[in-house]
Amino acid sequence: MIKHMWMAVLAALFAAATAQAQETIKIGVNEPLTGAVAASGTYVTNGARIGAEVVNSRGGVLGKKIELVIEDNKSNPKEAVDAAEKLILRDKVPVMIGAWSSTFTLAVMPKLIEYGVPLIVETSSSGKITVSGNPWVFRISPTSEMEAVAFLEKLSSFNPPIKKADFLSVNNDFGRGAAAEFAKALASKGVKIGVTETMTPEATDLSAQLAAIKKSDGDALFVTTGVEQVTLVIKQAAEQRLTQRIITTGGAFPDQMIANAGPAGMASYHILFFSPWSADKAKYPDVAKVYVDEWNKKKWEFAGLTEGFRGYDAVMTAVEAIKIAGKAEPDAIRQALWKTKLHGVNGDIAFIKQGPEGKESGQSVPNVYIVMLKEGKVTQP
Amino acid sequence: MDQILQHGLNGVVLGGTYALLGIGLTLVFGIMRVVNFTHGELYAFGAYLAYLFVALLHLDFFLSIALAALAGFALGAVIELVLLRPLRTDDIDTVMLVMIGAWIALQNGEQFVWGGVAKLVPSPFAQEPLVFGPVSVLPLRLFVLAVTLVLLVAFYLLIDRTRLGMAMRATFQDRDTAALMGVDVKGIYTLTFALGSSLAAIAGALLGPIFLVNPTMGNLVGLKAFAIVILGGLGNITGATIGGFVLALVEEFGAGYLSSEYRDAFGFVVIIAVLALRPQGFFALKGRVG
Amino acid sequence: MSARVFNLLFVALAASLPLWMRDPYLLAILSSTGIFIIAAISLNLLLGFTGQLSLGHAAFFGIGAYTSALLSLGFDVDIGLPSPVVVDPKPVWVAFFGAVAVSGLFGFLIGKLAFRVRGAYFVIVTIAFAEVMRMVALNWVDLTEGPMALNNIPPLSIWWPGSGLIALVTKPQAYWLVLAVGVVCYFLVAHMVRSRIGRALVALRENEPLARSVGVRVTHYLVVATVVSAAIAGAAGALYAHCVRIVDPDVFLFIYTVTMVIMVVSGGKGTLAGPVVGGLIFGLMPQALRGTAPPEVQWIIYGIGIILIVFFLPRGIVPAFADLARLRVPQALRRPAKVAP
Repeated sequence: MIKHMWMAVLAALFAAATAQAQETIKIGVNEPLTGAVAASGTYVTNGARIGAEVVNSRGGVLGKKIELVIEDNKSNPKEAVDAAEKLILRDKVPVMIGAWSSTFTLAVMPKLIEYGVPLIVETSSSGKITVSGNPWVFRISPTSEMEAVAFLEKLSSFNPPIKKADFLSVNNDFGRGAAAEFAKALASKGVKIGVTETMTPEATDLSAQLAAIKKSDGDALFVTTGVEQVTLVIKQAAEQRLTQRIITTGGAFPDQMIANAGPAGMASYHILFFSPWSADKAKYPDVAKVYVDEWNKKKWEFAGLTEGFRGYDAVMTAVEAIKIAGKAEPDAIRQALWKTKLHGVNGDIAFIKQGPEGKESGQSVPNVYIVMLKEGKVTQP
Repeated sequence: MDQILQHGLNGVVLGGTYALLGIGLTLVFGIMRVVNFTHGELYAFGAYLAYLFVALLHLDFFLSIALAALAGFALGAVIELVLLRPLRTDDIDTVMLVMIGAWIALQNGEQFVWGGVAKLVPSPFAQEPLVFGPVSVLPLRLFVLAVTLVLLVAFYLLIDRTRLGMAMRATFQDRDTAALMGVDVKGIYTLTFALGSSLAAIAGALLGPIFLVNPTMGNLVGLKAFAIVILGGLGNITGATIGGFVLALVEEFGAGYLSSEYRDAFGFVVIIAVLALRPQGFFALKGRVG
Repeated sequence: MSARVFNLLFVALAASLPLWMRDPYLLAILSSTGIFIIAAISLNLLLGFTGQLSLGHAAFFGIGAYTSALLSLGFDVDIGLPSPVVVDPKPVWVAFFGAVAVSGLFGFLIGKLAFRVRGAYFVIVTIAFAEVMRMVALNWVDLTEGPMALNNIPPLSIWWPGSGLIALVTKPQAYWLVLAVGVVCYFLVAHMVRSRIGRALVALRENEPLARSVGVRVTHYLVVATVVSAAIAGAAGALYAHCVRIVDPDVFLFIYTVTMVIMVVSGGKGTLAGPVVGGLIFGLMPQALRGTAPPEVQWIIYGIGIILIVFFLPRGIVPAFADLARLRVPQALRRPAKVAP
């Protein structure tokens, strides 16, 4: 008897939940708000929130306000799939943004085909995402390959020049892919490749990996992981007196080290896709200014701007596509994304075709910046 | 050779905090027979308090650690009084389930208050490592080692030389006889639990500035504490101390020479090995197993 | 009404659900709850009927998930032999039963090892075992893909008269699959409990020295119980692999074992319906609470709920309601009054 009652109660609850009137256009946000990479996911989500506010303050789109439906994927691929299904089946979002890490995005991709909903990929960098023949994927972030190639142009700004590079990356698609691409790119310029160490996403004690890296006589250490681990790596590398220069890839910036600086004389370099410290040098400074001002009004962590813009640009892209499509309907939005062109915080956003014929995914070609963090101050190297 | 020294030093520093965690748990698990799942949460609680006091309220670092210890003691006492005392006569599963509920509530409470993003606790010490020949170590880590040694000694004196300590030992050896002799057994249990929780909180406050503070930091640490307790023998304080250092050294050398990725697994492999070979732990004097 | 008729009605109602409840999201929730209920039923065998506190049950669940996924995807791994070990993708049902067998095997090993120690030590061995499995899954990337997860796992298929071989991919299909496996496992356990094995288990739960003294081969029956328990948990894990179709090292997390324990103990350990009732409540509670409060607060309510159930319904929900409704509960399944420690 009790079991029957529960069923009835649940059915009623569900009926009530789904009966709300459709007055807003929903955009799904699938990001890690807890777990190993919560810092970055939170920044991206905050950027998305600002994007939604700015859009709504300008009157929304198609005469309606947009509403972000945010699901936490808990820094886990299976949860990312659950979050995507919740957004698609329960909230019926016509377009999604996510899922931060390449591993989470790759896990979600089959669901896009199954349910026919487009995904705007805002951070993931693995090449696999846009070449596996999924026509529902549109990426505005660069692949690791693009990042490595763009980095080569700045290679000469390092003095003394980089002769031998070591790698420390998180052992998932993101970290491994980046290490492989950077190794390939650097080797093409004659840089010797040293050791490659990996760490699990939640590891906090990296002394063993750093000790192995210390033994190698490289002069640069490329680190690829989320903000939390980048912070730990830099602190522990300083403790072990590593001689290599630390260069982080993927856009992570250890924000808490501005207030809690490392030892004197120690500098680290960070490849970013938006540098709030030189926002006036962005490709479209007026666009960047709106984003930075709104963020600062909320008194959020300044360094978070380095990743928040991803959410902002993604929301803007989604809104532009909805406008072109003329309706908030998944397939219409998908087709509209091919025609979408806008000025983002990072630069131009437009999608080129990548992947197998007939099932291409969209890829935008963004800009790359490098900053140096020393004793709590950020400058151009 | 320098690598060995460096690993050894790292292991000893970490071992001190592990010993604190182990002692706190061995009493609760060994004597009170409570599978204390909140132990890891008290560790996280201590770390978050360190963050609160140092980063947000800008209190003195050393004062913050003392406050964290007191708060840990208080929270432990509350848990014991509210959740455990009413269940005193029940079987181990029921108690365990209650502790699980408390663990879930505490961890999610922490996440609700502080959010999921990891926090950095500022350290009052210089960031430059001290160099002794081939080894380098942060002044902070030396401080941690010093504090843990002081606490360990203090704890021993408490157990060995004070009347309270005698009452505790009596309760541990034979509860009913101790009660007959006039010892307030219920009070001793509360005190034991509170002390253990306090030690866990101190360990968290000490390690907070070295690693980052996040809501799930207590999970792995809590399980490792069980490893230390098994290694040292249930209820055996000396064993837990030695066990803490042994585990830290095993982790350090294992990560350095065998595999850096399996670092956290070594503790658990040790448990399984110990229980397969010598179930009463290495240091138990007598042990009825189970 | 007798328990048997009630059970049949319940199964019939459950089976008819997808016909009148069309929401695919709710069906997905029920399927995943069902998978956990199967795992809880297996845990109940150990926890409720033999009285052994196993807190590593997620290990058997995870082993089942990974084994089934790997066998159905195929793998090649280098383990130091002259040439790498290559296994071609196997038909999915072969993978499923392979997973059940492998989990059972691990159950045998753990049973043999762990029953030399008891009580609190057994608890820790089981926890340690699950953690080691998690770290192996996380770090042996060659085999398990580590944090990158095993993806694109093929679904289970059945042969249906008239349509041939159909893959079970839609939400209703997954739901019926889980229900079918669940019913089978339930009756398996029920049969075992009512048999001689069951009586031996109860004997050793109630008074082990006495049971030994009258010749009950305690360790033997404990190992049997662990093997069956592990095998069923493995089946639940394999179901998970083929329904969710992505497996990552987090399946070994302690929190999943905890979820199963909560379902069993709150429902009523040592009763057959306990894990089902506990599973339905605690599996669906998070969904019912959704939208009423932020997720962390929901979990806090969850935690407090467990504490309250332990305090007010210490034997679990089913025994409490059974007393109220005066259903007939078989002798073997009745928990006796507490004996003073």
